[in-house]
Amino acid sequence: MSSNVSLVETVKKQYAFKMKAYIDAFSSLVGIQFIAFLFSLGGGSSSMGTSDGYHFELKFYSADLVIIFTFIWIFVTAITITTKPYRNQDFTFVTNRMSSSLSNILFLLSASLLGAFTAVLSRFLIQTVAYFLLKEDLYIASVMTSEMMIGITVSLLYVFWISSIGYFVGTLVQIHKGFALLIPVIVIGSLFYDGFMQRYAMLLILFQFYFLESSMVLFAIKTLITTAVLFFASIAILNRMEVRR
Amino acid sequence: MILNPDDTKPIYVQIAEWIETEILNGHFQSDEKVYSQYQLAEMFTINPATAAKGLNLLADEQILYKKRGLGMFVATNAKEAIVHKRRSGTLKQLIQELVLEAERLSIKESELLEMIKAARKKEGSQ
Amino acid sequence: MNVIECNGLTKAYFRKNVLNGLTFTIEENKITGLIGRNGVGKTTLVKILAGLIKETSGEVRVFEQHPFNNLYTSANTILVDDQMFFPPALQLHELLEVAQSFYPNWDMELAQRLLQYFSFDPSHYHQTLSKGRTSTFNMIIGLASRCSLTILDEPTTGMDEAVRKDFYRALMKDYLAHPRTILISSHHLNEIEDILEDVLLIKNGKTLLHESISDLKEWAIALQGASTVVQKWLVERNCIFQRQVGKDTLYAVVRDDFTKENKEEALRGGVEFIPVKASDLCVYLTNDTKGGIDDVFER
Repeated sequence: MSSNVSLVETVKKQYAFKMKAYIDAFSSLVGIQFIAFLFSLGGGSSSMGTSDGYHFELKFYSADLVIIFTFIWIFVTAITITTKPYRNQDFTFVTNRMSSSLSNILFLLSASLLGAFTAVLSRFLIQTVAYFLLKEDLYIASVMTSEMMIGITVSLLYVFWISSIGYFVGTLVQIHKGFALLIPVIVIGSLFYDGFMQRYAMLLILFQFYFLESSMVLFAIKTLITTAVLFFASIAILNRMEVRR
Repeated sequence: MILNPDDTKPIYVQIAEWIETEILNGHFQSDEKVYSQYQLAEMFTINPATAAKGLNLLADEQILYKKRGLGMFVATNAKEAIVHKRRSGTLKQLIQELVLEAERLSIKESELLEMIKAARKKEGSQ
Repeated sequence: MNVIECNGLTKAYFRKNVLNGLTFTIEENKITGLIGRNGVGKTTLVKILAGLIKETSGEVRVFEQHPFNNLYTSANTILVDDQMFFPPALQLHELLEVAQSFYPNWDMELAQRLLQYFSFDPSHYHQTLSKGRTSTFNMIIGLASRCSLTILDEPTTGMDEAVRKDFYRALMKDYLAHPRTILISSHHLNEIEDILEDVLLIKNGKTLLHESISDLKEWAIALQGASTVVQKWLVERNCIFQRQVGKDTLYAVVRDDFTKENKEEALRGGVEFIPVKASDLCVYLTNDTKGGIDDVFER
């Protein structure tokens, strides 16, 4: 008796499977954020000075480092799940390439959400520890819930955007191993070349297109469109890949 | 019985012979239902199609008969048919081989008969 | 209904043809043995059928659909081999649960009973299993999934004799209760011939023979006798295998197309007819030379 299956059902099952099977990704997130948290306790940028006979030292306790570490984590995770062992385990069970990619993207979205949420909240942890354990006098910029929500949303957009870059890079490497060498060479090479030519680095201009956007809505549109394009490209490429197992 | 995979006889022939022996031993009476192809497949770990072929072989020889939808049954004079078949077939062939071997060893006819008699005596005393 | 149809199927790797115009069909609920020497493309064929890789040319249909990248094929086909890859983070019992979520006909009770029978610890991980144990576990997944098309590629690799016997018995019992199309690839036929209905013999990427197993046993016959006499009978016959035995005795395997009269005449001339085992026949047929290894030592 043969059974019919729908794409949506299969994607749901693959997603549920991946949330269980890729548990290691989440434990590494905890580890990485903890390391970033320890670094952050050293205080971010600090300034010192003497004023009217008073000596003062100003330290900034923020979650910036945790967020940057989370970026690195999602980038590595996205590349990892495009590799052969991960693709093979999809195909041990029921799937086609489309459901495999779609469930990967859903997994990356869930991972991004968790990463962004914990990274933003870690700020409070850092400041609490700084106050109670390090006995610092804290001047906390008060945050409203709405600002918190914006913080989480922006972080999520960034993390998810970076995951799509990682996924695309991983996909390219799957077509040809040469990309594993080519991509870093192009990235670092272009930085050196621009430096040598004594001009502003192309890559930075590219990033500023996203980072320096002041309008929240425009920023969201920019990152989401880029993310979508990169994921679509990856799906299209992976859809023709053979599974050698 | 366990099937002998090294036997050069096809499995379905071995199955047919096994059922014949079961009938000869009186495990199946006339008009009694014999094993189905699936029971045979399960018993001997063989493909049911192979088992069916063995059953059909016996049906062709009118040792079994088919009742549509019910299975295979032992024919009324199955026992006699098997005895007759083995006598004219298996035994005859064995004797042919015996004679051929005796010729190779240049054993005289009277000597061969003596050997057969001795073997029968031994069998009878057991 | 035909579950598998292949027509002129070709697969090339780096311009070298592994499959070379393979044509055959397999009917529903038959157990077919896929036999051939190592490296003739058995594994390539089953991967195409399971939709993992794409054919280079020719036509392939599984459940009347093109299998590559096909969700329907994937849901109704399972390919069991020693390269099945399971996530390292999940324990064996969790893997069963995952399989249950994917396969609609999954029988959890059967899977758990088999796991217990073969004394697996459900909290172990797949990666820590030995080769034979891996094969056994993969087989449990393959049986319990009850896919309409179950493909077993060298399923007993590394299993010991007792487990092999249990495995084939379990396969037959479950097949009788839940008939399905089964394709078993192996390079030794004698291990699986009892449970087969048909044999598909592959050589050089082509179908060499596709016969029922009982016909295969009667397909060829060996003649043995004085060389000159046997040679006489070999005229105009395609000799599959021949070997000199003793001083002047020739053993030759040919297609069995002798009439009863032929046979009686040959017998009188001193030729002995010996049936050929199906597994031996397959070895002879897949040899590249008539004399097998002996030809290497001929000068």
